[in-house]
Amino acid sequence: MLSAGSNTAINSSSEGSWVSPTSVPASRKRIQREMSELNVDPPPYCSAGPKGDNLYNWIATIIGPPGTPYEQGIFFLDINFPFDYPFQPPKVSFKTRIYHCNVDDTGNLSLDILEGSWSPALTIAKVLLAIQSIFTNPNPYKSQMPGIAHLYLSDKAKHDEVAAQWTLRFAR
Amino acid sequence: MSKEEEMRSPQGRNSLRVQAGGTETVGNEEALFSPGFRSVAVMAGWDEETLLIASLIVDDTPDRQFKQRRRTDSGLKTPPSSSRSGKRRRDMRRIPNDVPAIVLELSEDQAERKPDSHADMKEKTGPSNKVVEEHKGVVESKAASSASTLQSQGLPLPSMDRLREELSCAICLEICFEPSTTPCGHSFCRKCLKSAADKCGKRCPKCRQIISNGRSCSVNTVLWNTIQLLFPHEVESRKAAKAEKIVATEEPECNLPEMAASNSNRRRSLRAAAIIGRELYERRATPSIHEVPQFHVPERGEITNYRRRSRRSVGVPDRDLHERRRPIPSQDEDAALALRLQREEFMEAFRETRENSRTSTSLSTARANLRALASRAINIRVRNQTT
Repeated sequence: MLSAGSNTAINSSSEGSWVSPTSVPASRKRIQREMSELNVDPPPYCSAGPKGDNLYNWIATIIGPPGTPYEQGIFFLDINFPFDYPFQPPKVSFKTRIYHCNVDDTGNLSLDILEGSWSPALTIAKVLLAIQSIFTNPNPYKSQMPGIAHLYLSDKAKHDEVAAQWTLRFAR
Repeated sequence: MSKEEEMRSPQGRNSLRVQAGGTETVGNEEALFSPGFRSVAVMAGWDEETLLIASLIVDDTPDRQFKQRRRTDSGLKTPPSSSRSGKRRRDMRRIPNDVPAIVLELSEDQAERKPDSHADMKEKTGPSNKVVEEHKGVVESKAASSASTLQSQGLPLPSMDRLREELSCAICLEICFEPSTTPCGHSFCRKCLKSAADKCGKRCPKCRQIISNGRSCSVNTVLWNTIQLLFPHEVESRKAAKAEKIVATEEPECNLPEMAASNSNRRRSLRAAAIIGRELYERRATPSIHEVPQFHVPERGEITNYRRRSRRSVGVPDRDLHERRRPIPSQDEDAALALRLQREEFMEAFRETRENSRTSTSLSTARANLRALASRAINIRVRNQTT
């Protein structure tokens, strides 16, 4: 979290060099709107907001839902909005390491709604909820990490144990 | 005429006269009954009072009198000359119970009429308040007055919030602007739906059903009119924003290298002046920066206001817009633009302050939330380390 401060400085300094596609004001407005809605009515176990002055660069947290091996872990995510945002999915990646078959070493996660089946009617709140749902129900058939997926399918107890260990080590 | 009736009548008639004289309902009575019917009633003798009672002139009659009269009626056995008089008699029989209720109804009616007249007054005064915004169409002024009456009637705010939620577009999250409805029944701003169909494939953003014809984006007029009536301010500010966007993309003087070279503040004032003043076209033949302050533009406040606005709306990419070269728009286009700007000035002034405060507060609360969360995370970590 301490690194967020330095990121802020970088972002604000790089802000001036933006290219301006025509849709910038629209995406900006929409992101502002989402931000205020998130503040008014935040989804459970989630929070999200801009990292610094750059509205297109957010940080989000998801607290591991109870009843999963990720319980009580706090997972930080980076969200980058494209300039034609509601029409292109945001880029979401884990900053906290996590033992999950749908999240690779670098934190990229495979989630259908963040790729092909993105819809402009989806919001960050819904995306965070979807990420929460893969905490409880990993999808081993569309996996980034075949080893973890295999373990999940063959020995779920072992998988959960390792995941809990990772949560304890990296996410608390 | 029977004796009974003769005996009773003077007293009854006297009381009637007094009451009829007291109120102005005689005319009312005449309007209620046709002259033919009345003459028949007079010939029957007994019926005049009944008529008056039935037409609600007597507001309170002791029960005793009614009972007596009913007895006389039945004793007389004079068949009513028409079915209407029969109805009247039936009415009369019910009257002892009905009279007070009817009186109440009358007062209620008056009470109901009062807010109406109030609303009428509002509709009359509404436009006069908005003399400044003469440009507003008839629809808008109507909408504004209806909204004000809604508020005056104390429409609960939560329902308004729900309405706002229902009527907002899932793509831009604002009140639908020119809503277009998909075959599957979901409504979005026409523009949003169009760009969604262009960029994300021809599926409904909400339910992913295939939109048979992505190109046919017709406005759902009923929904659009409803939105205009319910949220006149939002619609107006969206319209203003739309015009502003056109302004941002049609700025004419960016293609003058001398001006691009001057400092940004000067450029902003130049731009404002160029848009407002038609004279620029005469002077453009000899473009020089020193000439610009000599422009006599009566709406001084407008320039500063516009400057402020442009800085806010274009924001950071502002600089890029300046460097970009654009073709010179025609004189008429610019004149139209200037007119539009003037018209939106008033709306704009209010919108700006409101929006600014809102975004700044939401930003700060977002940061506060994050800070709280981070501190919580650190606390947990610290606790873990200590244990």
